[in-house]
Amino acid sequence: MTTTKKISSEPVIEVQDLVAHYGSREVLHGINLSIHDGEIMVIMGGSGSGKSTVLRHMLGLNTPSSGAVKLLGQDITRITSKEIDILRRNIGVSFQGGALFNSMTVGENIILPLREHTQLDEKTMQIMCRMKLELVSLAGFEDLMPAQLSGGMVKRAALARAIIMDPKLLFFDEPSAGLDPVVSAELDELILRIRQAMKTTIVVVTHELDSTFRIADRITVLDEGNVLMVGTVDEVRNSKNKRIMDLLGRRVREIKIDAEEYLNRLTGEQVRETG
Amino acid sequence: MRQYAEKLGRATVSGLEELGYALSLFVESFYWIFFGYRRGQSVSIAATFKQMMQVGVAAIPISAALSFAVGIMLAIQGIHTLKAFGAESQVVVGIALSVTREFAPLIIGILIAGRSGSAIAARVGTMQVSQEIDALQVIGISPVRYLVAPALLAMMVMVPTLTFFADIVGMLGGAFFSVLELNISMEAYVDRTIKALTVDDILQGIWKSIVFAIIIAVVGFINGFSVTGGAEGVGKATTRSVVQAISLIIVADMAFTFYLNH
Amino acid sequence: MGELRAVTYKITQHAGYSVVHLKGDVDLSTSPIARKLILECIEAKHSVLVDLSEVAYIDSSGVASLVEGYQLAKTNGVEFGLVNVSQAALDVLQLARLDTVFPIHASLDDLSKVMR
Repeated sequence: MTTTKKISSEPVIEVQDLVAHYGSREVLHGINLSIHDGEIMVIMGGSGSGKSTVLRHMLGLNTPSSGAVKLLGQDITRITSKEIDILRRNIGVSFQGGALFNSMTVGENIILPLREHTQLDEKTMQIMCRMKLELVSLAGFEDLMPAQLSGGMVKRAALARAIIMDPKLLFFDEPSAGLDPVVSAELDELILRIRQAMKTTIVVVTHELDSTFRIADRITVLDEGNVLMVGTVDEVRNSKNKRIMDLLGRRVREIKIDAEEYLNRLTGEQVRETG
Repeated sequence: MRQYAEKLGRATVSGLEELGYALSLFVESFYWIFFGYRRGQSVSIAATFKQMMQVGVAAIPISAALSFAVGIMLAIQGIHTLKAFGAESQVVVGIALSVTREFAPLIIGILIAGRSGSAIAARVGTMQVSQEIDALQVIGISPVRYLVAPALLAMMVMVPTLTFFADIVGMLGGAFFSVLELNISMEAYVDRTIKALTVDDILQGIWKSIVFAIIIAVVGFINGFSVTGGAEGVGKATTRSVVQAISLIIVADMAFTFYLNH
Repeated sequence: MGELRAVTYKITQHAGYSVVHLKGDVDLSTSPIARKLILECIEAKHSVLVDLSEVAYIDSSGVASLVEGYQLAKTNGVEFGLVNVSQAALDVLQLARLDTVFPIHASLDDLSKVMR
C-alpha cells in the first residue's frame, strides 16, 4: 500500500467524547482517543477500567450515550447498518475466548467471512484459509472442530479468521489471557509480523504488562472510565502518576500492620464490637 | 400503594419492551427473507432445511406417539361422557372436531416448545456467552438473518405440517379405541369422520399452529439473546423460554378459539 | 468489494513466456480477474510470468491466486514465475513464507537470475 504513507498522519480510528452507561451507571466519562494508520495501540487498564467497554463501542457492538466513534473516517454511531456492514469488511476482531462457531470446523470458521462477503472461487478461499492457518502455525487443522483445540490453538484459529479478509483494522481483546508465557510471546511476535507485512492498524485491549511493552507503539491507560494517559512505552514506564505506577506494579503498596487491629480482624472481635 | 404502582409500571414497561423486541425480531426476519438478496445477504436455504429437519422430521416419532395417545384419551373420555346420554356413537364427531381444532395444534405446540424452543434458547444463549453472536456481528453477518430467519421459517413450515400429521394420527388413535369399544367398522368410522369434518375445522388448527410456531421461535430467541452470566444463565433462559412459550401458546389458543367461534 | 471491479490486465509475450502484467491493487474484488487470466494461460500450456512491478498492493486472495497458478503450472508441466516483485508484495509473500516457494526473477531482461 503506497497510498498509506501519504495519509499516515491521519487517524484511522477516532473516539471523541465517548460517554457510555450500563443501566443508569456512567462507565465511560468522555473518552478521547486517536489511533494512526499502521500503529499498534494498546489500551491498558485494570478490571473495571472500562477498557472492554471502549472496545465494544469501537466495534459498534454497543451504542454510546453520546460521543462519536470514527473508523476509517466514518462515524459508526451515525451511519446506516448497511454502511456499517461494508465498513466491517475492513475490520478483523479476535475475541477473548476466540468465539469460534462451535458448529463449524476450523476451516469453515475461517472461510465464513469470505463466503458471506466475496464471490471468490472455492479453491481460492481454501488456499487463503490454509495460508492463514500456516501463518498462525495451525497447518492441517482445518477439518477439526473448535472443541478439539486447546485454548492457545483456539486463539490462533480466531486470529486466522480475523485476518482472512486482510483487514485494515485489527482488534484484539486480551490476546494473552489464559495462555502460558511462551505461547503468549509467540502470539505477540505474530501480531508484530502481521503489522509489518500487511500494514494493519492494530488495537489491543489487555492488562498484561509484558505483552503491552513488547508490542505497543503507544499505550492508552484507562482508569475508572477516564483516559489517564496516552504515551509511548517509555513515557508510560517512566510516568510519575500514582495510579499508573500502581498499575505497573512498581509501587509496592505499603501495608502498615496495627497489631491490635489485625488480631481483632483475625478473631472477628472487631466485627462484634462494631456490629 | 405507590410501591405497587411503581412495580406494576416497571413490569408493564419491560413487558412492552419485550413485546416490541419480539415484534422487531419477527419483522426483521421477514425483511431478510424477502429483501436479503438485495443486500447480497440472502437467508440460507441450507440452514433453513437443516432447521426443518431438526424441528420437524426428527419430531415425527414423538408427535405420532403423543397424538395417537391423545386420540385414544379423547375416545375413552368421549364414550364415557356420551354414554350418559346414550349417544356413544356421536364420539366420532367429537374426536374429529376436537383433534383438528384443538388438540393437534396444542399438543404439537407444547411438544415443539419443549423440544425446539428450548434448543433455540440454549444454542443462542451459549453463542451469546461465548461471544459468537458478537463475532457474527463484527464479521458483518446479521444474527437475525443468520440465526433467527431460518429457524422462524422452519418453524412456520414444520409446526403446521406436524399439526396436520397429528390430525390424522390423533383421529386414527380415536378410531382405534372406538372401533374396538363400539363394535363399528373402520370404514364406517372413517366415513362418518369425513362427513363430520369441514376444511374450516382443519384450517382452524393450522392457523393456530402457525401462530404457535412464531411464538416458540421468537420466545426462544429473545431468551437466548438476553442471556448473561455464563452457563447458569443459559440454563435459566432455556427454562424460561419453555415456560413462556407454553403459557403464551395456551393463552393464544384460548383467544383464538374464542375469536373463531364467535 | 462484493461486485467485481472491471480491470484489464495486459498480457505480452517475452522469451517464450506469457507475461501477465498485474497493476494497481490486487484485492478481493480484482484478484478473480487476475486468477482467471493466469489459469487460462497455463491451461493453454503457456509458461507464465507474473509481472508485479505496477502492483501497489496485493492481498492474500491475490497471493492465493498465484499459488493456484503455480500448482496448475506444475501439473501441466509449464513454468511459472514472478518478476519485478515490489517490496510491498515481497512483504506479503514473506509473511506467508512463499518467497521461498515461487521462482522470483529480478527482471524480464535477465530471467536467469533467480532471486529468492
